[in-house]
Amino acid sequence: MTGTQAKRVAVHTAVVAVYAGLIWLAAARVDYAWNWEGVWEYRGMFVKGWLATVAISLAALVGSCLIGVLGAICLQSRRVVLEAVVRVYVELIRGTPLLVQLLIGFYLVATAVGLENRYVAGALILALFSGAYMVEIFRGGLAAIPRGQHDAAAAIGLSPWQSFWLVVLPQAARIVLPPVAGQLASLIKDSSLLSVIAISEFTLAAQEVNSFTYSSLESYLPLAAGYLMLTLPLSWIAGMLERRFHFDA
Amino acid sequence: MQPVDKAHTLKMPWSRGWRLVCAAVLMVVVSSRASAAEPPLRVGMELAYPPFEMTDAQGKPAGVSVRIAKALGEHLGRPVMIENIAFDGLIPALKTRKIDCIISSMTATPERARSIAFSDPYLKTGLAILAAANTKVDSIDDLNQPGRTIAVKEGTTAHQFAAREIRRGRVLVLDRETAAVMEVVQQKADAFLYDPLSIYQHHQRHPDTTRALLAPFREESWAVGLRRGDDTLLQDVNAFLRAYRAAGGFERLGEEFFSEEKAYFEERGIPFLF
Repeated sequence: MTGTQAKRVAVHTAVVAVYAGLIWLAAARVDYAWNWEGVWEYRGMFVKGWLATVAISLAALVGSCLIGVLGAICLQSRRVVLEAVVRVYVELIRGTPLLVQLLIGFYLVATAVGLENRYVAGALILALFSGAYMVEIFRGGLAAIPRGQHDAAAAIGLSPWQSFWLVVLPQAARIVLPPVAGQLASLIKDSSLLSVIAISEFTLAAQEVNSFTYSSLESYLPLAAGYLMLTLPLSWIAGMLERRFHFDA
Repeated sequence: MQPVDKAHTLKMPWSRGWRLVCAAVLMVVVSSRASAAEPPLRVGMELAYPPFEMTDAQGKPAGVSVRIAKALGEHLGRPVMIENIAFDGLIPALKTRKIDCIISSMTATPERARSIAFSDPYLKTGLAILAAANTKVDSIDDLNQPGRTIAVKEGTTAHQFAAREIRRGRVLVLDRETAAVMEVVQQKADAFLYDPLSIYQHHQRHPDTTRALLAPFREESWAVGLRRGDDTLLQDVNAFLRAYRAAGGFERLGEEFFSEEKAYFEERGIPFLF
């Protein structure tokens, strides 16, 4: 590790320590009877919920990226039907709250098509929700590739598919990486709303432990820590990929 | 162009603008000092449980518990403020002094009694079953079998009962009563555990898709929740409950809100509320 990198790590660690210290001070000042034993008893519930959140978030993550790429391609298509289908989908999903989409999606749509498994339905609805935002992000990324690139690829004899896959997409990927990482972090946190259709994920587990032990803060602090355990690695990987894809023009 | 009256701006302390501001401030101070004599009684309840805690068509709190709260305020000589708080946020709100008491159809359980104090019980109820129409269950033991799904509302005594006692069936925890009922109506859950009165009302709304097993498999009573150590208020509330019952207050509430249900329950020999 170089000198500047070491300094950077040291300063970052110091800032985290200061924030943690401030929270500790706030906790010490509040007149609150801490009851950690009760919450420790229910640690199994926390772990199960965390794993469920990881599984659903992962599935929705992959799903929404696929929807995003396909949707963005469709939006650029010359076929009006494709463009219309995606545009209406995006406006509808982005214009309504996730809560409403979950309730209508599960109790109306999923029931109508016979999808019984609420975990599958939940992951699907979450993927569709995040996918709409991904479509816009990818569309922006593709639009940022100058026309010259398409022309140059055609000039050297690449087929439309080859030029997309070999020339356009790699450049677009670099552009969309920061907003995509942000959207994926949002997705992980949005998964907490799945509790409204009785999916036993991490936030519901914390709420249940809170109900059983009457310890709100002792349930919600581990909850925050658990989500950080998922979003921080995501940030880190995204940062790493950004540095890898970066090349000086 | 007309010359602007400089005194009409807020620049000069004697201008009309400043005089209005001072008058307003004085009025607020005087009115707050007048009511500072009797601090308002802040009552916490979740306004999502008709007919006990709900809102009327104008969005104001209404229902049996609201009437009890207002009668309590009159007895204590304090104005009443109703705070609409989600059910499982009521005890934290009480402990952190955001409200003074809880009148929200809350059952006095030993677990809750470790955190807060309860008044004398004011209403007898229990846990009953709203079963899905296609499900052949007749008792809570039929539900505690592998392959059975039971819906409960998060934070209620039914939830605590299910978490402890239902070892073989599956428990679905939902944060809303309406969502839990929807699960049963759509036959996604075999039963919903809740109080007999609400189950009767849900069954009336969905007669073809549900069955009501109203005889309680577990008896409970509701009480007013108070902070531990708030002994004067506790004694006052108990005195109020005795006086209110003696004056026939609960009888009148029963007649007004539940005349139909009262008849239905009494016909079947199921104990009713008050």
